Amino acid sequence: MSLFIIVALPFLGALLPGLMNSAGRAATAGVTFAISLAAFVGLLTNLPTVLAGEVVMARVDWMPLLGLNFSLMLDGLGFFFALLILGIGLLIIAYARHYLSRDDNMGQFFTYLLLFQGAMVGIVLSNNILLLLVFWELTSLSSFLLIGYWKHLPEGRQGARMALTVTGMGGLAMIGGMLILGEIVGSYDLSVILQNRDAIQADPLYVPALLLILLGCFTKSAQFPFHFWLPHAMAAPTPVSAYLHSATMVKAGIFLMARMWPVLSGTPEWFTIIMTVGLITMVLGAVIALFKHDLKALLAFSTVSHLGLITMLLGTGTAFGAMAAVFHILNHATFKAALFMSAGIIDHEAHTRDIRRLGGLRKLMPVTFVIASLAALSMAGIPLLNGFLSKEMMLEEANHTVLFNSPWLVPALATFGSLFSAAYCFRLIGHVFFGPVRDDYPAKPHDPGSGLWLPPAILVVFVVLIGVAPFMAEPFVKLVTASLLGDAAEVPKAYFKIWHGLVPALYMSLIAVVGGLLMLLIFKPSLRLWDKAPRPEAKVIFEAIVEGVVRLARALILPLHNGAFTRYAAIGAVVFVVAGYHAWTTGTVGATTRTLQAVNFVSIAGWMMLVAATVGMVLMHRNRLLSLILIGIVGLMVSIGFVYFSAPDLAMTQFTVEVVTIILLLLALNFLPNTTPIESSILRRVRDAGVAVIGGLATFALSYHYILRDAVSAPISEFHVANSYKGGGGTNVVNVILVDFRGFDTYGEIIVLGIAALLIYALTESLLSGPVRARLLNRKPDQARAGDKHPMMMVVMTRVIMPVVLMVGFYIFLRGHNEPGGGFIAGLIVSIGVVMQYMASGFGWASARLRYPYHGVIGAGVLIAGLTGIGSWFVSKPFLTSDFTYVRIPPFEKFELATAALFDLGVFLAVVGAVMLSLESFSRLARLAQEPSDDEPMDIDPSRDDLPTSLASSEKEGV
Amino acid sequence: MISADINVVLPEILLALFAMAALLFGVYTGKDKTAPLLVYLTSFVLVALAIWVGFSGAGTETAFNGAFIDDGFARFAKVVILLSGAAVLLMAQEYMLRQGLLRFEYPVLVSLAIVGMMMMVSAGDLMALYMGLELQSLALYVVASLRRDSAKSTEAGLKYFVLGALSSGMLLYGASLTYGYTGTTLFSGIIGTIGEEGISLGLLFGLVFLITGLAFKVSAVPFHMWTPDVYEGSPTPVTAFFATAPKMAAMGLFARVMFDAFGNATHDWGQVVALLSVLSMFLGAVAAIGQTNIKRLMAYSSIAHMGFALMGLAAGTAGGVQAMLIYMAIYVTMNVGTFAFVLSMEKDGQPVTDIASLNMYSKREPLRALAMLVLLFSLAGVPPMVGFFGKFYVLMAAVDAGYMWLAIAGVIASVIGAFYYLRIVFYMYFGDEQKAGLDGTMNPVLWGFLMASAAVMLVGVINLFGIEGLALSAAETLVN
Repeated sequence: MSLFIIVALPFLGALLPGLMNSAGRAATAGVTFAISLAAFVGLLTNLPTVLAGEVVMARVDWMPLLGLNFSLMLDGLGFFFALLILGIGLLIIAYARHYLSRDDNMGQFFTYLLLFQGAMVGIVLSNNILLLLVFWELTSLSSFLLIGYWKHLPEGRQGARMALTVTGMGGLAMIGGMLILGEIVGSYDLSVILQNRDAIQADPLYVPALLLILLGCFTKSAQFPFHFWLPHAMAAPTPVSAYLHSATMVKAGIFLMARMWPVLSGTPEWFTIIMTVGLITMVLGAVIALFKHDLKALLAFSTVSHLGLITMLLGTGTAFGAMAAVFHILNHATFKAALFMSAGIIDHEAHTRDIRRLGGLRKLMPVTFVIASLAALSMAGIPLLNGFLSKEMMLEEANHTVLFNSPWLVPALATFGSLFSAAYCFRLIGHVFFGPVRDDYPAKPHDPGSGLWLPPAILVVFVVLIGVAPFMAEPFVKLVTASLLGDAAEVPKAYFKIWHGLVPALYMSLIAVVGGLLMLLIFKPSLRLWDKAPRPEAKVIFEAIVEGVVRLARALILPLHNGAFTRYAAIGAVVFVVAGYHAWTTGTVGATTRTLQAVNFVSIAGWMMLVAATVGMVLMHRNRLLSLILIGIVGLMVSIGFVYFSAPDLAMTQFTVEVVTIILLLLALNFLPNTTPIESSILRRVRDAGVAVIGGLATFALSYHYILRDAVSAPISEFHVANSYKGGGGTNVVNVILVDFRGFDTYGEIIVLGIAALLIYALTESLLSGPVRARLLNRKPDQARAGDKHPMMMVVMTRVIMPVVLMVGFYIFLRGHNEPGGGFIAGLIVSIGVVMQYMASGFGWASARLRYPYHGVIGAGVLIAGLTGIGSWFVSKPFLTSDFTYVRIPPFEKFELATAALFDLGVFLAVVGAVMLSLESFSRLARLAQEPSDDEPMDIDPSRDDLPTSLASSEKEGV
Repeated sequence: MISADINVVLPEILLALFAMAALLFGVYTGKDKTAPLLVYLTSFVLVALAIWVGFSGAGTETAFNGAFIDDGFARFAKVVILLSGAAVLLMAQEYMLRQGLLRFEYPVLVSLAIVGMMMMVSAGDLMALYMGLELQSLALYVVASLRRDSAKSTEAGLKYFVLGALSSGMLLYGASLTYGYTGTTLFSGIIGTIGEEGISLGLLFGLVFLITGLAFKVSAVPFHMWTPDVYEGSPTPVTAFFATAPKMAAMGLFARVMFDAFGNATHDWGQVVALLSVLSMFLGAVAAIGQTNIKRLMAYSSIAHMGFALMGLAAGTAGGVQAMLIYMAIYVTMNVGTFAFVLSMEKDGQPVTDIASLNMYSKREPLRALAMLVLLFSLAGVPPMVGFFGKFYVLMAAVDAGYMWLAIAGVIASVIGAFYYLRIVFYMYFGDEQKAGLDGTMNPVLWGFLMASAAVMLVGVINLFGIEGLALSAAETLVN
């Protein structure tokens, strides 16, 4: 049968039991059995090919780009494991059908079981490590569902969590190992990887790959220090324990180590890591198992111990060790599955698995007694049973193994482990089956129907058969070993015999068995000792680790993400500085190509004022008015800096912008308290100051660095300088850029400016219709108002200045194209002139003299600019192409006319409109707060004799 | 010539016109009463556009002198953006209606944001880039604070705005430096200059600032600070939107700029992106462990996922871009499903975001719990879920490009990250019955999206729905 069908059968079949729930329990189990049987038979049809030493291959491209192909391979090793999986699977299905009670959802159970079976078969038949990975995690997933099958049992939860966390994360780690292997070899196909032993072992990434893969194997096969999850997973139904946790899933890690044996083994790393871990696991598991009272827990720890044993055998890196491992996998699968099923029978019949509440079952359950005893004795290593043979081989191998330069360490520990192993086996038999019959069993125990005892009985037949006639298993084991070893080593010549003569292994075995019996005799006192001895409980440790991890994660993250902006800003600043410092220290620093300009008094004075104003601002920022003045000084100094460095255009722009913003801010300030509250402690401020100073120094260092070096490429400015007059008809490069080179940008900007002003207007509008209105109306100024709101001197001054300002604006506007100036600056200047009227004479008076609404002014500006741009379409040029010409109208000099000037007019209007509209919006708030509106330009007007109403009323109140 | 240009940007123009028309329609008719209609209409338009863009011709076309590029890469990203936008919009509908949040501006703002995203992935010029980015961001700032009466939502919007503006500033600074040292804003011009003169120090500065600005947008560490607060504070449907389409757009833009404008300096930006990637993966994985709020957890999860996507980008190869595209497409699909579930989490009619409320969820709703399990496994990158393939693609791209250390770091980060996804699974299947806290039914639309997304994660393993090939050809148009 094709390999595809063998793998696919359980997956496809998994649909059936779930759907057949209503057809009855027998039918559901029957279908499941039939599916497994079909796959089993299909596997057997490939037996002749495998026996001939050939490898059956099947391949379909799945995701070739990823190197992931659905490629299957059946060799001796794969056949061996698949045989175990499907064969024991059949027995388990038969057993489960009788084990599960009527309340359990059998369809669901068998669906999960088949899913798991398919995934396991997939692992062992994969010829692609990525495919293997996929099946690998599928077993984690389906086993999670199976462990969680009895959700109502509280102890099951913790077990499922541990199993999932440990195996799931281990599997993910393995991805890394597979990735490295694939990278070294250049293919993810196992058949290719297995040919590249030397390339892999010589690669510097061999150790990381080995570690990551072993992480996956150890977690899956419950090796120390990840052994703790397996016993806790025993909360699952017994068929699950028997199938997953002894015969198959936990062997997946072992399988992978065996699979990778030809390429990964033989190095000191492989030997040391695996030997150590295997030995520790074996001894630890055996010791703990002896003192467990739960029958399944005892078996679980014994499984851990035996998995350690097999791991250790693979770790030796010798062909004999590998053969012993294969043999023990076979033997362990038979006797341990039989034992688990017997434990299940006892649980099923006596309603308890607690060894302390059992005893004397020998008479009540004779059939179970025979099955369980034979299996347990095999596990203990009693001759004529299969466990004895592989244990002898293990001891023999241990005798030749030198770990950490000590020839006796491994043999001693192996014997020690075997001793405890024998002891718990004897305890199992002795305390459960022997002793007096009790009358306090939770239920009256008796042998179950054949449906429950037949499956373990079949396994026990194999236990005895192989034990008595080992030569029957020899060819098969050697065949499997040969395919495990690949080209890396020869299959050892050793024969499978019961009697090897008086070899050391026999003595060791003897010590173990006799010691085991002695241990049983002194069980009571040693149990007391064990209970008293402090020992780490895996579950507690696991929970502590989880708890600790969560706490650590919080401790790391919460201070970083506390939601405060200042924190984020500080972190950002520090990161930038650190990254910059790293670049500075590790990178190459170019030589200085420029010298500093000569420092003179003026520049130092200017710099000092800038610094003083900045520092003062930081120190006195609590007083809003003061800080506003200091901001003004900072802006002024920056403008002067521009002048000093020959950028009059920038200076003018900066200067006018400064004035306008300060005026607008002053207006806004009117509604804010004079001082800001203190919100942080001194320590915090000091710390923040530290961060700020570091940031500032870093910025200084960076700019200083660049002052002294030329830019590598030619700066773009040269292009503009060269083309400004030629292309744009202006010698003022900045203005030409604004209205010509980057006219489109400017066009966008004035639109944005207009929108911003409209937004401010709309915001005030909606503010004033809300609760703010009432607050404004009730607002009492915290300081006495000036007696004359509109001082005569100021009113007169501003009116005199107004025409001058307009003239200057006009002048600046016109000269803009060639000299510093332009529409933007002109707009700001005119705005300042108008704003001054408002300030001096009051809003009411000023707006009454206003001809055009500011909305309209903005719109007109944008429209004019837009139309100018569109105009160029009529001469089939792109939008906003400018043109210029020279005109001479006597008696004037020749002057230039450029379409850019028209565009600039649009800019001018938009700026005026935007500034004024924002101002108007602010003042709407003010006017609401300060009753009554002022219609007169001056408080004291010589041409009037009456007092204005506001003054009169305040006089009445005595202010 | 203009008509040819307009032909290229027709989908964007149509969507923008639709948004404006919808706005006018909403304002002049029933205002919020028209919202459900607008949501359906917008989703329909988005899906229709996705089909159009997806099936419109092959090949590369440019418009406006190269400022706008319509190539396979852009089309791939646009289809993902449009479809996920439509999905999230449909999912939002019922939730927002229930919470009294559904304003007619919402679909309009989402459409405008999507126009911006489409611009972003098609940008061929620093200006077009910025325009798209800002159009998207401005719309997103507003939707983040959609729930105006909630202090948290307002705070989220404000934070997003301030940090977003800061990042825009960085980006602009980088763009001006780039312009200053290459003399052009066209990507093709920038790459040409680098080809001729090599990358100068000034240009390098520009590049770093550009990356900084973009890293903000994809929420890569250390520019991720806004993400958890904004995810947590925004209304859940908005969070769902943030977690899907904008991420794809930002990654698309990132790739676009890096390859189209700096494609011959891969080594220079590769190391920066690799650093961002590894920091994001680890911070996302570690930080999520301690979270109790599922929205905040998804924020950290998205940071970690962006780290993986950036790994593909760091590789600097066509394979890397392909991996990134596949990763993003899968990521977006997973997030749609996950957020469909999060949107349905409620108790006594009130939305719940506490993870503890999921205790023993499987008992009450086995099917939904199973779907969520599939999604969470997929998010964790556990084989055989589709999420694994995305992760493996980027890992392999990194390995192929010689970033072995990055790939191994990624594997370790994914192991750490699996912890918190598995924790949720554990709660759902084996939690404490006493703490169980969810009730209520699931809206059929949400149910449909949850199941569909979970199904995709399972069925997709067959051939990833063929997106491998599409992503490869898309990547090849970008990297050449």
